[in-house]
Amino acid sequence: MKNLMDTGYEPIDSLDKTSDGKAWSLLDKLLLGLTPQRYLRQALRNPFNWVFGVILVVGLPLIAYRYLFGLGAVTHSSNDYPWGLFLSFGLFVMVPLSASGFMMGTAVELLGRHDFKPILRLALLNGLMGYFFAVVYLLVDLGQPWRLPYPMFVAWGTAAVLFLVGWHVAIYLTVQVMEISEPFFEWANLPIGGLLIKRMTIGLTVAGIILSTLHQGALGALFTYAPGKVHPLWYSESYLWIFYFVSSIFAGLSMVIVVSTIVKNLMAWRCGSEFLDNLDRITISLAKGASMALITYFVIKLIGIAHDNEWAYLATGWGKWYLFEMLAGVVIPLVLFSVGIRRNMVGLIRFTALLTVLGIVLNRLNTALITFNWNLYQEIPHVFEAIIAITLFTTYIVTYRFILYRLPILYSWKFRSAESYEKAKQMEWVPGRETAPSTVYREAVKVPLED
Amino acid sequence: MNTKWCRIMGIAAALLVMMLAATFAQAVNVPSTIILDSLSRLYEEVKFDHEMHIDLTDDCADCHHHTTGTGTTNRECAQCHSDSEGTSAVACGACHLEQPFSAQSIMEKEQNSDLYHIDKPGLKAVFHLNCLKCHEEAGGPAGCQDCHERTETGHAFYDSGRYAPAGKKQGSDH
Amino acid sequence: MKGISRRKFLAATVLGSAATVLTSTDKALGLNNFEGYPEGMGVLVDLTRCVGCRSCEAACNKEQGLPAPDLPFDDPSVFDETFHHGSQKRRTDENAYTVVNRYDPDDGGQPVYRKIQCNHCNEPACLTSCFVNAYTKTREGAVIYDSTVCVGCRTCMVACPFRIPAYSYSSALHPQIRKCIFCYDTRLRYGDPPACVETCPQEVLTFGHRRNLIKIAHERIRRHPAKYIDYVYGEEEVGGTGWMYLSSVPFEQVGFDTTLQKEPILNNAREFLATVPMVLAIWPALFMGFHILSAQKHRDGDDNDPGRDQEGDEK
Repeated sequence: MKNLMDTGYEPIDSLDKTSDGKAWSLLDKLLLGLTPQRYLRQALRNPFNWVFGVILVVGLPLIAYRYLFGLGAVTHSSNDYPWGLFLSFGLFVMVPLSASGFMMGTAVELLGRHDFKPILRLALLNGLMGYFFAVVYLLVDLGQPWRLPYPMFVAWGTAAVLFLVGWHVAIYLTVQVMEISEPFFEWANLPIGGLLIKRMTIGLTVAGIILSTLHQGALGALFTYAPGKVHPLWYSESYLWIFYFVSSIFAGLSMVIVVSTIVKNLMAWRCGSEFLDNLDRITISLAKGASMALITYFVIKLIGIAHDNEWAYLATGWGKWYLFEMLAGVVIPLVLFSVGIRRNMVGLIRFTALLTVLGIVLNRLNTALITFNWNLYQEIPHVFEAIIAITLFTTYIVTYRFILYRLPILYSWKFRSAESYEKAKQMEWVPGRETAPSTVYREAVKVPLED
Repeated sequence: MNTKWCRIMGIAAALLVMMLAATFAQAVNVPSTIILDSLSRLYEEVKFDHEMHIDLTDDCADCHHHTTGTGTTNRECAQCHSDSEGTSAVACGACHLEQPFSAQSIMEKEQNSDLYHIDKPGLKAVFHLNCLKCHEEAGGPAGCQDCHERTETGHAFYDSGRYAPAGKKQGSDH
Repeated sequence: MKGISRRKFLAATVLGSAATVLTSTDKALGLNNFEGYPEGMGVLVDLTRCVGCRSCEAACNKEQGLPAPDLPFDDPSVFDETFHHGSQKRRTDENAYTVVNRYDPDDGGQPVYRKIQCNHCNEPACLTSCFVNAYTKTREGAVIYDSTVCVGCRTCMVACPFRIPAYSYSSALHPQIRKCIFCYDTRLRYGDPPACVETCPQEVLTFGHRRNLIKIAHERIRRHPAKYIDYVYGEEEVGGTGWMYLSSVPFEQVGFDTTLQKEPILNNAREFLATVPMVLAIWPALFMGFHILSAQKHRDGDDNDPGRDQEGDEK
């Protein structure tokens, strides 16, 4: 892509192909305005595609193999470890990393932090992608995935925590699709859809925070079914759901920083100036939010240990592992974030965000897999299981990238002709009416973001 | 060592015959051999050499509680039965049920609120518990098939004999 | 602005209350102190009587139509089998709903045999953790499972404190949970004892009403204080189990988890489940309140002046 940009190529960022109002066709939009040949050539030039390709070539047949021969063929199919890598990584890790959607939605739409707007759509998309792929992981892991709608329509186990998770994730996925559909409607030139969504923004955002609070917490509460199996240091009957909720806050915020960093460096051609110009400032603000959540998390984790009087466990081998997790995933990030914020070191903040993300990955894997059955024996996932998990993560990245390449997530939709601008204005695509639009098109109306 | 376990199952054939014999004969007419076959299904009947066992023991109460009239040595039983007379029914099967846990037995037990002996083992259990205890202490036969041969049905039940699995399959480690 | 806000607020409330209705209806059912059905049946397992003949395993295998075993049921060599580098003895799996294991007590005495199977809890963790209600605790005391609604999430296996439910991982199309169902379909519902009880030569297994079994268990301990550990395992564990155990050696030496809580597993999730309706009720108002306050602030100043916000760092 970089090479293409050097040759004067401009990626599609408006409905109009030319200023005389001729519109892009769907194929144009899908191929980013390139001819199929040129599109293919640039795709083949991208080294990442080769890496992804190799992973998919190995992994996709394995996924087919899993459906043909059952879970027993690709996992260690353990009766003692019912949940392997698919759930511990795919569900328990992906969901907190996707908390960005409701966090930024709340900040921008409910708390009026319009300064976060340039990154709002990325945060929303990050949320949707994470949840969607958590469901994909689930579909691979479930014994009978075609029965996934059963808890909705066939049999209700209303007293189960998982029932709550299932319903909330399903509703929240719908909410997220609606929230993120705005850029899609813009891209697909269906302004009426965007208008509908805009009217519902506040409702959707409130629904988002409710659902997220509950199911982020519920994932933690799930483990209260397994006291004695989860190591006491990672278990808390009273607080586990709060730990999960609070940690999802900094997990989601850090994930946005990580993703935006990747995007800024690898996909700069696709980023609008509004995104690029504001990213450093926003990154620091996100880091402030993440720090607040981190310090809170650190304190309540201490309270958790004190409440259940688990100090003695800290001296054991598992205790050292726990201290490592806390140190690498919470304390050090906290210190580094503070330094980064105080000294305006955005690079340091970005590194710290990655550390925080890895910390949360470790925390969830520890609870669900590594320390699970700590007094029984440790199970190491089957190599096929690991390959499938990596394959699914690759499809996640590829899908994520596919959307970022096309929809106006990182850039703003432009209007080259007066006619389309007027139309957009009518549909409230651009500011001008009293209702605050959920996304800004300042570029279109030449309103600078910062004075 | 290895033989110990599997030996018990089948004394399981019932001593019902003993009950019948006793009913006719009372204590005077002690049967010398008793065929235990009322529960035989997985195992062949047992020819119980009653006479020999009488010779081996000092006291009928070693096996028969107080029912033969020789009194009881069990402290717990003596609380009520210290001077109980011999009873007309002496055979194990007179009191110990063939089907202690059938719906019928459970219901009758439920309805009898005065029942003191709420923990009375079934017939098969008293044979095995009673016999095996002595057999192990005194070095008598203690393997299942030492007392009763396994029937064809029994081999099918245990996947043994000609029903044994062909080759040991590789057990899963998980 | 106001009109729109109200409408939006309503929308949020409706979404919230829809979720309330959908999620919190039956909670009360689990939150009461359920102590099992009065007519519930159970089995008292007296380990002092078990000689390890494995007839119960054979009976279960035939009754439930399970696949033929790898070794004959009278082969004692299975007691020497270990798994996971010797750390584990045999456990229940998709082909065996009950398993007898041998333990050598610390005092070097006679080996002790222990039969494991589903303990048929009064308030089963598998049941309460299942999001499609695949499990039922029947009036007769059995915990049974409906494979036609099971999605295969295996939360019940995570939740079971006795690690009993197994999954038929080998099946691609119809994998399901496999576990002891107290012979409910073929026996218990007609009042008959399960196959293992019926076949046990030593009456290690005493079948009866759970409340009577507790009396019997304590009576045995009272009459033979030197023989038994003064404890009935399962009387109180995780809210009480239908199958209970007597032992002559400390329970932890024969593979029992003696650290289990006395309360039902469901109680652990109580606090969280109780919070759910509160969040659903409070969050909409709370966050709409924040929204209105913050919108007011912007109204006073310049709505499009993000610079004002840069000092704040609440998020």
